[in-house]
Amino acid sequence: MNKRAIGVKRMIEITNLKKNFGPNEVLKGINLKVNKGDIISIIGPSGSGKTTLLRCLNYLEKPDEGIITIGEVSINARKVHKKDIYTLRKKSAMVFQSYNLFQHKTALQNVMEGLIVVQKKNIKEAQEIATELLRKVGLEHKTKAFPSHLSGGQQQRVGIARALALNPEVILFDEPTSALDPELVGEVLSVIAKIAKEGKTMIIVTHELNFAREISDRIIFMDNGVIVEEGSPKEIFVEQKEERTKQFLKRMVPELDYSI
Amino acid sequence: MTIDFPFIWTAFKEILKAIPLTLLLTITPLAIGFLIGLLVTWIRIGKARLIRLIANFYVSFFRGTPAIMHIMIIYFGLPILINQLVHYFELPIETNKIPISLFVILALSFTAGAYFSEIIRSGIASVTTGQIEAAYTVGMNTYQVAKRIILPQALAQSIPNITNIVVGFLHTTSIAFLVSQTEITGAANIVASKNLKFLEAFIAAGIIYWLITLMIEMISHFIEKKAKSYISSAL
Ligand SMILES: Nc1ncnc2c1ncn2[C@@H]1O[C@H](COP(=O)(O)OP(=O)(O)OP(=O)(O)O)[C@@H](O)[C@H]1O
Ligand SMILES: [Mg+2]
Repeated sequence: MNKRAIGVKRMIEITNLKKNFGPNEVLKGINLKVNKGDIISIIGPSGSGKTTLLRCLNYLEKPDEGIITIGEVSINARKVHKKDIYTLRKKSAMVFQSYNLFQHKTALQNVMEGLIVVQKKNIKEAQEIATELLRKVGLEHKTKAFPSHLSGGQQQRVGIARALALNPEVILFDEPTSALDPELVGEVLSVIAKIAKEGKTMIIVTHELNFAREISDRIIFMDNGVIVEEGSPKEIFVEQKEERTKQFLKRMVPELDYSI
Repeated sequence: MTIDFPFIWTAFKEILKAIPLTLLLTITPLAIGFLIGLLVTWIRIGKARLIRLIANFYVSFFRGTPAIMHIMIIYFGLPILINQLVHYFELPIETNKIPISLFVILALSFTAGAYFSEIIRSGIASVTTGQIEAAYTVGMNTYQVAKRIILPQALAQSIPNITNIVVGFLHTTSIAFLVSQTEITGAANIVASKNLKFLEAFIAAGIIYWLITLMIEMISHFIEKKAKSYISSAL
């Protein structure tokens, strides 16, 4: 909480973000501010718009309305240029539910790709950075392996290393462990927790409520295209004010009942 | 009538001389056609409506008609067009001095372009959208995504299809003999007519086509193994 003291830098600001898919209003005017170094977890029922919100942040999905600011880059959905989108994307990196590694590249090449193509680093430098990051996620022995020869947990850790390589201002995680076999979830969560401690700004969409509670500075509860409630883990998991939050948590973690 | 086996060997040696022209008529259109195919595919998955329609029409027409039509239309049609232009601009060109092989190459390039477009398009469809999105989030622009992520996988995926059209085009060059090109079939025909030994000459030609085809397939297997090493062998 002290992070919000004076002198803290604002990293992300979302103003009145709206997104429709046809007649389906998926985001109904989202406002959100994130400070540098904050770990934010977004929770909420399926279809509430969590993924869409994350995808709007890097314009994988084009919002219908709203202003997105990351660092010093600001885009108004009403007047976007392709160039702005590329600039905005360089501010963030994304870790996907289904990993989405480049299938024709080795673990090392996956991590190097952005360094070489986007940041124009030379091969030697890119290799050093990528090797170091794979070591960090515990995969120094798999640098030459192709994604199809890695387990889900290993692929996701490569995905995290690929995101880190770009040294982005913020890392977006969309349910990074949802596609994993239960016994592989732990290895990925512990890598994420490790990065969280290093002060990276992160926004994590997750159904792992215990994990969210442990590592987050702030929890956002979304339902039906709006942010229903946000606050510290304690405020959301123990002292929630909104009925919808209570209902959701009751469904997700019946053992929390005692605290309601 | 008996088969003159020794003459098969004689014809074989004679027809071998036609291989360079045959390969030229096979490889050049394929190379040009590949570039046409890339361009046309780019247009077909792009947003510009009118040229997309034209590109679709091109592919549909050239895949929907035999290659011999393309050769005939270009062979008979293009000189008329060129003559008009020459006349109009008073250029010092004589159409009857343009080598016929050039018309054949041009026609077959268009044929190949249409086939390549279909092959490349289905190869692209095999690349998951997730990877493309990941490439964008890494900060790549559309050109970089196409060149580094989509095309390498699309082409690796397409190797069996590409092999098919390489072999198909090798065989298709045989129709160039109709416009008096001395490629393998043309050469076989000449040897055969001179000696009145048609069966022997065409058996020899068949063997040559077959051997070249085997070689193409060997090369293709080798390339495919290399290019697809990233795909899990344990299915
Ligand atoms: N590309 C799309 N086209 C049409 N509708 C879409 C598209 N993407 C998402 N939607 C719709 O938008 C709504 C919100 O989807 P979104 O994926 O953001 O939900 P979510 O909160 O991430 O859900 P989950 O927890 O299941 O991942 C859903 O009703 C979904 O059907
Ligand atoms: Mg989702």
